Amino acid sequence: MSVANGFYTVRLVFSKTGRAKYISHLDLYRAMTRVLRRAAIPLWYTEGFNKHPYITFAAPLSLGHESVCERMDFRLTDETVSMREIVDRINACLPEGLKAISAAEAVTKASDLGYAKYRLRLSCSPAVLRAFLDQPSILVEKKTKKKGGVKTVEIKPHLKDVSVEDADGQAVLTITLPYSNDMTVNPTLLLTALSAFAGAEVTGEACRLELFDRHGAVFA
Amino acid sequence: MPTLDDLFLKVQKPSRYTGGELNSVMKDRAAVDVRFAFCFPDLYEVGMSHLGMKILYGLFNSQPDIWCERVFAPDTDMESLMREHRIPLWALESRDPLTVFDFVGFTLQYEMSYTAVLNMLDLAHIPLRSADRDERFPIVVAGGPCACNPEPIADFVDIFFLGEGEEVDLEVLRLYRDMKKDGTYTKAAFLRRAAQIEGVYVPALYEVSYNADGTVAAVTPKDNAPAVVRKRIIRDLDTCYYPESFVVPFTDIVFDRAQSEIFRGCIRGCRFCQAGFIYRPVREKSPEVINKQAHDLCASTGYEEFSLSSLSTSDYTKLEELLPMLLEWSEKEHTNISLPSLRVDGFSEELAQKLNVLRRAGLTFAPEAGTQRLRDAINKNVTEEEIFRTVTKAYNAGWTAVKLYFMMGLPTETLEDVAGIASLGQKLVNLFYQNPDRPKGKGVTISISCACFVPKPFTPFQWEPQDTAEQLAEKQAHLRESVTTKKISLSMHDNTTSYLEAVLARGDRRLCAVLEEVWKRGSKLDAWSEHFDHDRWIGAFRDLGIDPAFYANRRRSYDEVLPWDHLDYGVSKEFLIRESEKARAATTTPNCRQQCQHCGAACWKEGVCVERR
Repeated sequence: MSVANGFYTVRLVFSKTGRAKYISHLDLYRAMTRVLRRAAIPLWYTEGFNKHPYITFAAPLSLGHESVCERMDFRLTDETVSMREIVDRINACLPEGLKAISAAEAVTKASDLGYAKYRLRLSCSPAVLRAFLDQPSILVEKKTKKKGGVKTVEIKPHLKDVSVEDADGQAVLTITLPYSNDMTVNPTLLLTALSAFAGAEVTGEACRLELFDRHGAVFA
Repeated sequence: MPTLDDLFLKVQKPSRYTGGELNSVMKDRAAVDVRFAFCFPDLYEVGMSHLGMKILYGLFNSQPDIWCERVFAPDTDMESLMREHRIPLWALESRDPLTVFDFVGFTLQYEMSYTAVLNMLDLAHIPLRSADRDERFPIVVAGGPCACNPEPIADFVDIFFLGEGEEVDLEVLRLYRDMKKDGTYTKAAFLRRAAQIEGVYVPALYEVSYNADGTVAAVTPKDNAPAVVRKRIIRDLDTCYYPESFVVPFTDIVFDRAQSEIFRGCIRGCRFCQAGFIYRPVREKSPEVINKQAHDLCASTGYEEFSLSSLSTSDYTKLEELLPMLLEWSEKEHTNISLPSLRVDGFSEELAQKLNVLRRAGLTFAPEAGTQRLRDAINKNVTEEEIFRTVTKAYNAGWTAVKLYFMMGLPTETLEDVAGIASLGQKLVNLFYQNPDRPKGKGVTISISCACFVPKPFTPFQWEPQDTAEQLAEKQAHLRESVTTKKISLSMHDNTTSYLEAVLARGDRRLCAVLEEVWKRGSKLDAWSEHFDHDRWIGAFRDLGIDPAFYANRRRSYDEVLPWDHLDYGVSKEFLIRESEKARAATTTPNCRQQCQHCGAACWKEGVCVERR
């Protein structure tokens, strides 16, 4: 562990389920700031006119999605509080649906994120889902960075570690999707393509299971 | 039928409806005797900012046998989904529909929220009128400043709480619990007994008769209800309950911070200001108690900002004692102190710098009127010299923008007073250019914001007519013509909302029918200009044969029976008449600390009324 520039960066792994899935990304930032202040851990504040704690999230989660693998980075001024203690104190201050799982010094840069694994409980049947996935090509419309721009993207080669289960006639899809600066496919995009394929709206409850770096190792 | 979860993903800002915020209180339904749904008749962002709700929510939940939950008006997107799928309004904590509660309580902060009260009852599948609700439905209660004239919504509410609620609310809930337990409970019996508690007004126990000219003839109590209901006050704020934690919302709200109440009431007696009369007498909290409460609140919420709450921060007698106590921990913990309605004048240089008062308080003044004569008439004891002094300080410190708040249509106002608004602005512009130390290379902006005066009950202006739309339009045009520089930016409120406020503020029970009708025609969030429809209101008045001008634009005589005369807020009618006459003579009245005016509030023998001077 190293305290350079007067701070060191802790990466917290936490889950966001139940009522907490309706907390938007911006609101989560605000809530977590207050949680860290309540937890009375030695937070490092930015210098300057408007001092504030330094908090970032590696991979913002869509509103309505659950996750058991969220990452939040924040800076501490010293190492007087152990990682175990940080997790416990944060858990004592979190609202319903948010739970701290572990904390460690941040290793991987957020820009090295590569993939995210999801489980999607879908409203369609396993047969429809399999037919969709067995297509030789899956084209989706993606917004480009240019305002109002749309481009068609082939995502079939990007779908990894696909498994389909049957839960009382409903399809449960476990899948790893790209999540990086170069290419991101989020579950909502997949659902849109699936709905177009099925000719009716397919809804799904999404849960993010794990984040990986660009080499496929767990994002630490 | 879709579940609530299905709805949450289809609406804007779903965390307004989900509950589960930090410090929200969950209890076991089976382990409590009384369930109370605390409703704020406006959107979550507004209601969650309100201190009174936080106090009562904490107080009720500090009682093991009571579970209090929060309810807000849904935004239009959520409302249409609820109506489409017939999903009844629910409380945030348990997500249970309001019909399972023992009490449904509304806080009435402004008249334009009345239609939201009706809409929320309807969304909860609760009949609107008290007379149509039998034992199967919750008791509907209401409190807050508008309860001082509750007559326009009297038909919809079973019980009004007058004054401060910390004691009387619990007394009523306990009576309910006990009557349920000993088997004597019926709605009628409960209301009759509740009416015997001081501060409780049960409108169904009062018969109102009218004269041929439409004025009130008499308000007659029945079933032994008291002829006059007196408001309640908390005698000692130091020992009174104050929450150690606030619910911390996820979404951004209007005032997202911890708040410490420093005193209740106001010594000033500005004649237009209802709060200055109905919250008497002034009672202060001691600095030690405020300091502890503020620190506890920040620790339990994680808030990065807290504000001192009162009607006029500068009038707190121990401010210079309190602020260093607060600064001692707030600086260390990166917590900002906000001091609203502060007079920058009286501060020591050192403290002013530490608090950065100029930066924080911004430069906002409320002279309310444009000439000294009219300021004297309304007893707003602010002089031009005071404003010039502070503004000069601010210009020296690099400020180039000043905001001024005024009211238009004040009693005795002439076109000369209106022009005075513009000339005060002009003087501040000139002050800037005459100041050798002004920020170089920058212009100055004076923003003038002008609201329309609304006469309110329990003020010396309760007998006054509101200016008509034509009079106000003439004055607004005159003000616009009187401003001759681009350095002054002028914003004038639309007077149609103020007109309805004036009708409802001093209305009687015959307005209940208008409220119901205008709600039926689609009014529900009238406090929001995008939802407010003036013509809809005027149409409802016309079709019901009720003349709104009778309520808004009519001068009452001192001996007229006013619709709220059977309610007692401590200030006597004799005192209000004296003040009204002094207003006509443009004579000021010293504040409570300078000289007692025998308003009547001394009957409680508390606070400023018994301070040694």
